[in-house]
Amino acid sequence: MSVSAEPIACQECGQLHRYRPVAPGKTANCSRCGAVLYRNRPNMLDAVLALTLAGLTLFVLTNVFPLLGLRAQGAEQELHLLGASLAFWDQGYPILAGLIILNIIVFPLFELLTLLVVVLTIRYRWRSNMAIFLFRWMRELKPWGMLEVFMLGVLVAVVKLGDLATLIVGAAFWSFAGLILTMAAATALLDPFSVWRALEKKHG
Amino acid sequence: MAEHGALLQCRVCSHLSHPPRQLKRFEVMHCPRCGARVKFAQQSNSVEVTWALLIAAAILYIPANMLPIMSVYMLGAGQPDTIITGVYHLLEAGQWPLALIVFVASIVVPLLKLFTLSFLLISIQRRSRWRQYDRMRLYRITEYVGRWSMVDVFVIAILVGLVQFGNLARVDANLGSLSFAAVVVLTMFAARTLDEHLIWDITRQEEQQNA
Repeated sequence: MSVSAEPIACQECGQLHRYRPVAPGKTANCSRCGAVLYRNRPNMLDAVLALTLAGLTLFVLTNVFPLLGLRAQGAEQELHLLGASLAFWDQGYPILAGLIILNIIVFPLFELLTLLVVVLTIRYRWRSNMAIFLFRWMRELKPWGMLEVFMLGVLVAVVKLGDLATLIVGAAFWSFAGLILTMAAATALLDPFSVWRALEKKHG
Repeated sequence: MAEHGALLQCRVCSHLSHPPRQLKRFEVMHCPRCGARVKFAQQSNSVEVTWALLIAAAILYIPANMLPIMSVYMLGAGQPDTIITGVYHLLEAGQWPLALIVFVASIVVPLLKLFTLSFLLISIQRRSRWRQYDRMRLYRITEYVGRWSMVDVFVIAILVGLVQFGNLARVDANLGSLSFAAVVVLTMFAARTLDEHLIWDITRQEEQQNA
């Protein structure tokens, strides 16, 4: 399949281009809107694999350890990530609880596992059907994973509660911060165009 | 689903493909590369679906702001808070950076989203050629910023989960939080269903006519 002869379209504005190889470390941009069409990143897969493994480790730590603790008049309360998700459930809002579980546990985990499968599929030339399916849904569900938004919520809550009682910042708070940075780095590094081309080559 | 003469572009993976020669009624075309649904102009209901979601969100925006989102009980005495009174309490406590974050995320962003998406829809329906590049950027910003409105819902979840000391101090969730979350979800769906490539379609049609 001569991919270079086929036209490609800008994801942002739809302008048509021809694929032309670019030098390592360089990007190709859309002639109309300037958006990045594709990049040439020599060590992309290894870097994303490393970040994904780090991310999965941090994800486990974040879910195991308490995120925040509150001490008031001798009594103490601890909050895990799952506890925060289920708080609405106890209040009679199961739909909201479900939404939050999806936002801060299910979708981020799905994204990490998808990255793992996609990178391994390209690296070891596995059959790519599964990776294509997962990567498509990861791209579609991306806005619904809201770790960084939740982190802002944690910060707001911390300041709000600061005057009220003694607040304990748990171990999960720090692994959570690390997880956000790791996933942001993986997203920034990964070039979707290169991934689709790699998956497609084996497919066809 | 932007059209390039005979080619269709997948919105998920950008893959270009040829439309099927004939499509039966209710038959759907899938991207040959990633399997996502590919729509094309004759079939596109992007504008209508986006309007429907936007109107639903605009209606829910009213209870989201009128009803209390959470109640804080201290030593038995409780006070329900709406979004606005919550912001006001933060200001009173001198925490204006927090008040600003909550105000922007919970009031300004959803409202701006409703107006911006309506504006984009109207300009697409009027086949406007005005500042297409800027309108596309406006769309991208709207799409990106929308999810940050969830921050208030998360704050309520954290407070409800953490502050449960019986009569001493307790935070309960109220119905307003559900309406508000629904507004955020609906506007996120609306941003997603709006096909931003429609902004460029008028130019493309002219280019094709001239070519």
